[in-house]
Amino acid sequence: MLHMRIAKRQEPLGLGGSCLVLFLALALSLVLSGILLFLGGTPPLEGLATLFYGAFGSRWALEDSVLKAIPIFLCSLGVAVAFRLKIWNIGAEGQFALGSIGATWVALSFPDWPSFILLPAMIGMAMLAGGVWGLIPAILRQKLRTNEIIVTLMMNYIGILVLDYLVYGVWKDPSSYGFPMTPEFSDNAIVGKIGSSSINWGLLHCVVLGTFIWGFFKFTRLGFELKVSGDNVAAARYAGLPYDRLVILVMVISGALAGWAGFLEASATVNRLQPSIIVGYGYTAIVVAWLARLNPLNIGIASILLAGLRVGVENLQLELQVPAAFGGILEGLILLTVLAGGLFTHYKIERRRME
Amino acid sequence: MTFELLIPLLAAAVQSGTPILYATLGEIFTEKSGVLNLGVEGAMIVGALAGFLVSKFTGSPVLGLLAAGLAGSLATSIHGVVCLWFQGNQVVSGLALTILGAGLANYLGTPYVGLSAPGFSPLALPLLSEIPVLGQIFFNHDPLVYLSYCIPPVMWLFFAKTRFGLNLRAVGEHPAAATAAGINVVSYRWLGILGGGFFMGLGGAYLSLAYTHLWTTNLTGGRGWIAVALVIFAFWRPIRAVYGAYLFGGVMALQLRLQASGTQLPSSLLLMLPYILTVFVLVLSSWKKGSSEEPAALGVNIEPVD
Amino acid sequence: MNMLKAVLVLTLSLFISTANAGEKEMKVGFVYVSPIGDAGYSYAHDVGRQAVEAMEGVTTSYVESVSEGPDSGRVILNMARKGYDVIFATSFGYMDPMLKVAKRFPKVAFLHCSGFKQSENMGNYFGRMYQARYLTGIVAGEMTKSNIIGYVAAFPIPEVIRGINAFALGVQSVNPDATVRVVWTKTWYDPATEKEAAKSLLDVGADILAQHQDSPGPQEAAEERGVYSFGYNSDMASFAPKAHLTAPVWNWGPYYVKIVEEVKNGTWKAGSEWPGLAEGIIGLSPFGPMVSQELRDNVAAVKAEIVAGDKKVFAGPIKDQNGVVKIAEGVVAPDADLLGMTWFVEGVVGTTE
Repeated sequence: MLHMRIAKRQEPLGLGGSCLVLFLALALSLVLSGILLFLGGTPPLEGLATLFYGAFGSRWALEDSVLKAIPIFLCSLGVAVAFRLKIWNIGAEGQFALGSIGATWVALSFPDWPSFILLPAMIGMAMLAGGVWGLIPAILRQKLRTNEIIVTLMMNYIGILVLDYLVYGVWKDPSSYGFPMTPEFSDNAIVGKIGSSSINWGLLHCVVLGTFIWGFFKFTRLGFELKVSGDNVAAARYAGLPYDRLVILVMVISGALAGWAGFLEASATVNRLQPSIIVGYGYTAIVVAWLARLNPLNIGIASILLAGLRVGVENLQLELQVPAAFGGILEGLILLTVLAGGLFTHYKIERRRME
Repeated sequence: MTFELLIPLLAAAVQSGTPILYATLGEIFTEKSGVLNLGVEGAMIVGALAGFLVSKFTGSPVLGLLAAGLAGSLATSIHGVVCLWFQGNQVVSGLALTILGAGLANYLGTPYVGLSAPGFSPLALPLLSEIPVLGQIFFNHDPLVYLSYCIPPVMWLFFAKTRFGLNLRAVGEHPAAATAAGINVVSYRWLGILGGGFFMGLGGAYLSLAYTHLWTTNLTGGRGWIAVALVIFAFWRPIRAVYGAYLFGGVMALQLRLQASGTQLPSSLLLMLPYILTVFVLVLSSWKKGSSEEPAALGVNIEPVD
Repeated sequence: MNMLKAVLVLTLSLFISTANAGEKEMKVGFVYVSPIGDAGYSYAHDVGRQAVEAMEGVTTSYVESVSEGPDSGRVILNMARKGYDVIFATSFGYMDPMLKVAKRFPKVAFLHCSGFKQSENMGNYFGRMYQARYLTGIVAGEMTKSNIIGYVAAFPIPEVIRGINAFALGVQSVNPDATVRVVWTKTWYDPATEKEAAKSLLDVGADILAQHQDSPGPQEAAEERGVYSFGYNSDMASFAPKAHLTAPVWNWGPYYVKIVEEVKNGTWKAGSEWPGLAEGIIGLSPFGPMVSQELRDNVAAVKAEIVAGDKKVFAGPIKDQNGVVKIAEGVVAPDADLLGMTWFVEGVVGTTE
């Protein structure tokens, strides 16, 4: 009889092996979703090809995917910072909402300020608002041991309703025919596009912030302390690291980055604040952060992949009339298979013959 | 708000709290075994669809209910495979289950949106429903509400008195010690995941077979997440889950009734009430953590042994 | 990796080109804000699309669940790039994104539903659903006994507010003492919440329910409590046979076919169209048996007046909730005011925030 057993690896799986596992996991999720397409009456190969083509098959498609990846990247970068310390910040969605609110407040209050003052002010306010939204659950967690998953989640709902309240109420554009949206921002408050492309300068923000976060963890003492504390809280406390303050720090950074994403989305892509700015980037960000194993460069790649998935699903609908929900299935499957594949980083499966 | 509005409000609190109660009990059952499953929302919506479809095609809501429970278990079994077999992170796997479950249910359920299926209708319990006030609040509902009254005490008994229940708790508290005592830890965690999924599926079915007799995309509307929150509020105790679910359902019902009574408060602010309340009670209950029965090994995977 | 990608792209482009090769058919695209499975607003548009699909030499496609804002701009842009000849965008928030795309594709006909902006190749259109609401209001006003009528509403946007106002005016035209109570759910399709909202209205004494939502949740509440109700979007009688009086319904097919026909013949010109009862774009579903013949005749008479253009729903004097005259005597509110309506008429209990 053939038996399988799981054995611990002496050393973690190398880069090549990891890539292979990742590839197999992705392939499995594609096969599974292909089966679902087939069941739904769509030719699976053509379906997946259409999806891929819609996401990355042309310059436009690539630009669209990158454009959509920008807010996902920033939210995910923030989420990853908190995850480093094993703080489960599910609240990027709400922090994103608050960031867009903060930026909008500045943009609407001081429309005539020159860009080089107005934009930094908007960013600052967005970071502050998003940061506060991250700070509250952090304080509650450290002072009262309140579970941060739940508090951040509830604050998502609350943050989105605050946004609703503002755009349905005091910030409603008098010339919008009563529809819930603020007036369009002045030109000074808008982040422009790069050259002739449809991609805005937010891409550069991503590169700079990503590098900054990467360097922070790689080279600074504080970053090192964070990593250590995340790996082992008890040891960190024993070593005299200010764990409480570190938690609060990462949640504020986390919220501020999501807030920055909210700023970019309001300023660069929508040019105003409206409820439809909330499309679930904050939740996608968690998926991305985990797929990327919290590494900023990988987050970039994973953001573009998942943004591409969302863009590609539109093409799939247009060409083959596959319901929009298919995107969620594929996203869920990818995450689950990659997650399961993670086993092979530290373990291997051996076969052995038994009597 | 006047007194005669209070009784219908409390009755509504019970009803809108019921789907959340089922889901909360399911999550308590799972977490007691040491597994954190954030995929409640996903299991619920899969259960809601399965219950609806089976009831529609067999004409039997009871079969539908059963199917919903099984579908809930099937959905959470994915979480089991990823976390118990493949050592996946429980937080992320649960999130993935939510995304996948919603996607699957919406994808497969699209052709059935806007149709109705046979379901459970209100059924006043003889005698009990005639008790003044209490009768109207508690005994004038559909059979699934009455069923939900039975589960918390039974679950409490299960945890407190039965060998299975005690073993399940031991696995959630101290897996290593449980293993040493000869308990098959992984099997009990499977029990926790599948059993919990069953209740989550019932919670979904409550929405598609009793609360309404309809199926639609995103039918669960975030109720699964509320359940995850209420587990903590309930200190992992089945009986306390009842208060939490009715409190949340009550605030939901209250904000609608405030509007109906002609309040001038903006609806966005009223809609915030349930969420603010959840945070608030969470803070309050964290304050006196002493009586909590949080499983010590919650969310920690069991390393495979050579 | 690059090799792999190149090969993939190549094979994929083969797929696409074969799919599109050799077709001279006219392509018509629709953009929906919710899944077509909502059995409501988007579904009604999609029924219209199917009428277009049945036309000779026309193929159609759609993208559903497109959120307003940047996503919609991208979807519309991609349709234009793929050579779609006519594009219908069916939600308000698509207006500005569509306008931007329309400027870049002057040969494509763009049509936007429920907005107010237009250009040389972008027209806008909507249906005067409020006319049908007014008719249902007459039925409600005649049939209520408690003089409290409940209205379960989705979001406080002008389309919904306009419908509530028209309904209330219809009620008051036959029963000045009745009030209309509004509960916002902030959902388009959450049957449980919407049913609960309906019950909350019944608890404060409403004996007739109207709804501006896609789910039949409120219908079920009415059926259970033994009161009357109006559906919306499509005939909802099957959900509440004893309660369902009638429903204001959409019928987009003829309009969409007409537009596509015009574009095909080269006679289409961008404009602003707001068809109503007269054009058959909206109407009422069959009355339930509880509506008396006399009342049916009354409604038919008012409908005939509206169709003939003799009666306008929003003709002054009309006061707002605070008793301030918003539309003066002898004035008919212009379409622009209706499109941007943000206040409730007198006799409506609720807030527009």
